[in-house]
Formats: sequence, C-alpha cells, structure tokens
Amino acid sequence: MPRFGIGGTERWLILVILAMGAGLGLLTPSFLTLSNLFDLLNASAVNIIFGVGLLVVLVAGGIDISFAVAASVVQYLTAMAVARLGGGNWAVGLLLAGTFGTLLGCVNAFFIHRFRIVSIVVTIATYNLFFGLLMFWSGGVSIYDLPDWWTTRVVILGTETAGGHAELTLTVLVMAACVAATWLLLRRMSTGRQLYALGDNPEGARRVGVDVGAMHTLAYGWLGLMAGIAGLMQAHYAQEVVPNALYGRELDVLAAVVLGGARLGGGRGTILGVFLGIILVAITQNGLNLLGISPYAFKMIIGAIILAAITLSSEGAGRLIGSWRTPAMRRAA
Amino acid sequence: MVNRHRRALCASALLLAFSGIAQASPDKPVIGVVVKVGGIPWFNAMETGIKKKGAELGVRAFMVGPTSADPALQVRAVEDLIAQKVDVIGVVPNDAEVLEPVLERARAAGIKVITHESPKQKNADYDFELASSKGFGEAYGKRLVEALGGKGEYAVFVGSLTVPLHNAWADAANAYVKANAPGMTLVGDRYGVAENVDQSRSTALDLMRAHPDLKGFLAFGSQGPIGAARAVAEKRMGGKVIVMGPFSPGQGRKLVHDGVLTGGYMWNPALAGEVFVTLGTMVAKGEPIKDGTTIPGLGTVHPEGHNLIVDELVDLNKDTVDDLAKLGL
Repeated sequence: MPRFGIGGTERWLILVILAMGAGLGLLTPSFLTLSNLFDLLNASAVNIIFGVGLLVVLVAGGIDISFAVAASVVQYLTAMAVARLGGGNWAVGLLLAGTFGTLLGCVNAFFIHRFRIVSIVVTIATYNLFFGLLMFWSGGVSIYDLPDWWTTRVVILGTETAGGHAELTLTVLVMAACVAATWLLLRRMSTGRQLYALGDNPEGARRVGVDVGAMHTLAYGWLGLMAGIAGLMQAHYAQEVVPNALYGRELDVLAAVVLGGARLGGGRGTILGVFLGIILVAITQNGLNLLGISPYAFKMIIGAIILAAITLSSEGAGRLIGSWRTPAMRRAA
Repeated sequence: MVNRHRRALCASALLLAFSGIAQASPDKPVIGVVVKVGGIPWFNAMETGIKKKGAELGVRAFMVGPTSADPALQVRAVEDLIAQKVDVIGVVPNDAEVLEPVLERARAAGIKVITHESPKQKNADYDFELASSKGFGEAYGKRLVEALGGKGEYAVFVGSLTVPLHNAWADAANAYVKANAPGMTLVGDRYGVAENVDQSRSTALDLMRAHPDLKGFLAFGSQGPIGAARAVAEKRMGGKVIVMGPFSPGQGRKLVHDGVLTGGYMWNPALAGEVFVTLGTMVAKGEPIKDGTTIPGLGTVHPEGHNLIVDELVDLNKDTVDDLAKLGL
C-alpha cells in the first residue's frame, strides 16, 4: 500500500463514482445541481463521522459493531445531562457527547486488551449490553423536548439556486473536523504508524515496543469519541432522540468502509476510501430516487452495485484487466 | 468462593428462566402482544392500553417489541410466546405471509391468535381494525384532493412494501384520487421508507428535487409524515408542499404548528391495545362473537369472516394535536 497518493481501490471507486455521476447527470436534470450535491453531503455526514472512527479500529486490527448503539446511549446521556445542567450549549454538548462516547469505547478496549478477548466477541456482547441497558432504562421512550441550541438548524453555507434551496449544515462542518483530526492521527503522527503496524503484524509491533494496551485504548476510544459526536449530530438533524434510531446503522457503515478498501484483518485502509465508500452507497440511493426507479428494485440494485464496485477494486480484477496498471505500479502497490 | 459464585449465578439464571413462564388458567388468561417494533411512541401508547386493560380485567397482558421492524424478529417473538404457553397471542404483523407458519403452530398448540392492522391474515382467529382500510385510505385521498385543489403531483410512502394494510390504504387513496381528481398524478411507485425517519426525510428530499412540481406527500407509516415534513421544512417549502399521514401527535406537534405537517386521521393505539386485551379475554373464555355483539372499544361489530372492522377515526389537525399529545401519544 502506498503511504501517500491514491491507492488502487480508491482509484477504482473514484472511477465508478464518476461514471455513475456522469450517467445520472445525463439521465436526470437534478443530480448535478448544487442543492442535490449538498444534500448528499448533509445526508452522508453522520455516516462518514462513524466511518472514520471505525477505520481507526479496523486499521489497528480490531472490529467494533457496538458503536452505533453506543451513539444512541450517548444521545440519551447527553440529553439527560444538559437537561440537568439547565440547557447547555454546543460546547457543553460536544464535550459531554465526546466524553460519554470515549468512555463507552474504553469499555470495549478494556475487555479486549485486559482479557485478550477477540474484539468481535466483546463488541457483540457490549452491543447487546448497551442496547439492552438503553431500552431497559429509557423504557423505549423517545425524547422530543431537546434544548433549542441542539435542534435549531445551523446553516454554514446557504444559497438560493434554480434547483431550490441549497445549504450545507453544521453536520458537514463537524464531519470535516472529524475527518481532519483522524487524518492527523493516522497520517501525521507516529501513533498512527504504530496503529497500522499493530494491525498488520501484532506480534512484530509488540516486539519493537509498541504499547499494545495504549493503542487499543486509543483506537476504541477514538471510535467512541467519533460515535459520540455522530450521535449528537444525528439528534441535531432528526430533532429528537429515539432509542432505536441508529440500531442497525453499524452494518451499513461497516459495509461502506470495507467497500472503501479497509481490510477486516487490519493494517490497511484510508480515509479517502471511507469517504468514497459511503458516498458511493449514498449516490446509489439518491440516483434511484431521482431516476424514478421502482422502489421494489432498490435493494437488488444497491447490492449489485456494491458487489460490482468491490469486484472491480479487488486485486483479481486488476490482474484480469491487466494493462491498465503498469507492472511498476503493481510492484509499488 | 468461586463455587459459591457459580452456584449463585446458576440459581439466578434458573430464576430468570422460570420467571418468564407465565402461569395460565382459563379465568385469568395470559395475553402476549407482538408489535412491529418497540420503542416508538405509537407502540408505547399501545403498551399503555394493554397494561391498563390488563389491570382492569385482572389478566396478565404484556407487549413484546422487537428491536427493529423485521419480520424474522416477530417470528422469534411468537415462538417465544408459544414456548411460554400463553393463552392468546396478539400480533401487529410486519409481514403477514412470513408469520403464517408460526401462527399456524401457535393455533396447533391451542393458542388463540388475534391480529391488528392485517385484514385477510391467514391463521388468525380474529383480526380487528379501528379503521376500514378503504374508509381510511379514501378519507386521506379526499383530504389530499381538497388540499391540492384537485391538481398536481403527489408521492406515497408506506411502512414497507410488504405491510398489507399500508398498501391497502395507499390503494384506496390512489383509487379515490384517480376517480375524483383526474388532474392529479402519482409520481414513482410507492416508497417503503415510512417506518424510518432518516430514510423518509432523504427520500422526500430526493423526490422534491426529481419532481419540482410535486405538491403533496401521503405517508402511511408512523415515521413517514415526520421525515417528509422535516424535508419540506429544510427546503423552505412549508405550505407549498403538503404532508399528510397518520403520526404520533407528540412527535409531530411542533411540525404541525410550524405549518409543514398538515395532519390527517389516525386511530388511538392505546385503544387498540385495550381491544387486544378485551377481545383476547373474550376469545380465551370462549365467549361467542356474532353479528351484533358489543365489544368495549370496538362497539357493535359485524364480523366479515374473521375480520372485525369499525371506523373509529380521530381527526389530526392544528386544533386537536395538542390534546392528543397530552394523552402521551
């Protein structure tokens, strides 16, 4: 995997996305409008925040399926806490959500590292535990009375266009901050390199002196932090806290992140890949609606496109198509 | 030390296992109701009704809410109830066909089966509806035609493409519109997103973009009207695009007052919960249900096959929504 530049998977994803974009642009008058592209970003922002968090765990050789449910727990805890604090504001909300999220992530890290349990087993357990506790304790009751700062739409960039009102919201800004922070962590800090090393070869990494416990705590804590922030933002645009609103989201995010080239065994994956994977799935859904295709065919087409994209971006397809990549490039990869 | 802990663990596990098994008897039937999905206001209200009526009649009645609107989870919940040997199983099906085999097994085990929001359900002893699917759908069709002045494009959301009742409503509403307002056209087919607020919102955004002349959303499914109304608010189209559908008043109150959610008709889920228990108790005791029988909550019924259908519609609009919200809906 090249350290810098764009990897093979990402190149193929960009090609697939460009091809779909061009096709949709030709077939529908509204796909390539500012307001549609902004809405795509607004709608994908929460998943991208989840995605970059999950990427850190995948890179470090782990997996976590409890994060979406953890985000729901964070929504509840934050809503209760700000109510007790008498309102709060964005700074308090972000701080609380980030803290609660990080703590829940550290619970996972503790069991995975301290008791040497496989991460998928621990997170399946905590997934049920978090959700069970949430349902038990909330009684399944939703919260509609969130403070005004939380539910008032914050428009970063809004403009009237021929295709209707176009705007970018706070969620996108927060997403950009999360992406930038994760990029710094993975690409600009030595801890990032240690995470990749740990995922690629855990024993080797341990022998050269990587602190495995600290790395686990960092990875799961980071995902927890991102999940907490994502939960806050989801409640922001949904304007309510519903206990099972995020239930099941983990698989959508995981599929999109893996589609973006992150390896389930660890040591491989890029932020660009996460972004592209999530955007590809979002464009597919958006395109189906714009094209007016019968909703009865949606699932079938989404599945087929994921399968096609993954096949194209795999090593096997690269060899099959052959000459597109020069031998020198193949060696570098 | 370790042993003692282990014994305590075993004991508590056994206790847990047994406490789930209900003690049934003909006078005090045990009634378990499996709903589409737990943790949403509609079914929280239904649970209130179930518990209230259970306490009143002195029967054990409880609700089981799967974590997502997944037919397979409902099948598992029904299997659990069969294993618990309850007397009556109530179901609000996500998918009528998927449930057929497991309901057949329940009846083979001597358990009475009552369904709601699923007329024509196979392997049920009774199905009750607080609104006839034709009457409900037509009421919406009529109101939509009035609101749009008989012309323009509209789109229809349903909970899922396999929810029989939502689709029957949509059929009736579309038929009414077609017959009475030739100037109105349906865009796309119907969209199965209305049990999920995020999906309803993004689908509504996509559709408004794809069809600039879209004037109305008809959303059947508890989260559909909410999601579509949020999309309308985001695009500053309040008043220009009408959103109608049944929703939980507490959840939609703000949107109704903001003028982005027009309203519609609903029935009271708490009442449906009560009927599950009342009817379940009658059926378990073997009381006959004939033409003209009066059942509290349903009134006088005229069974068609095993369907008990009445029209107990509640109007949802700016003036009624606050009072309904106060009921905890």
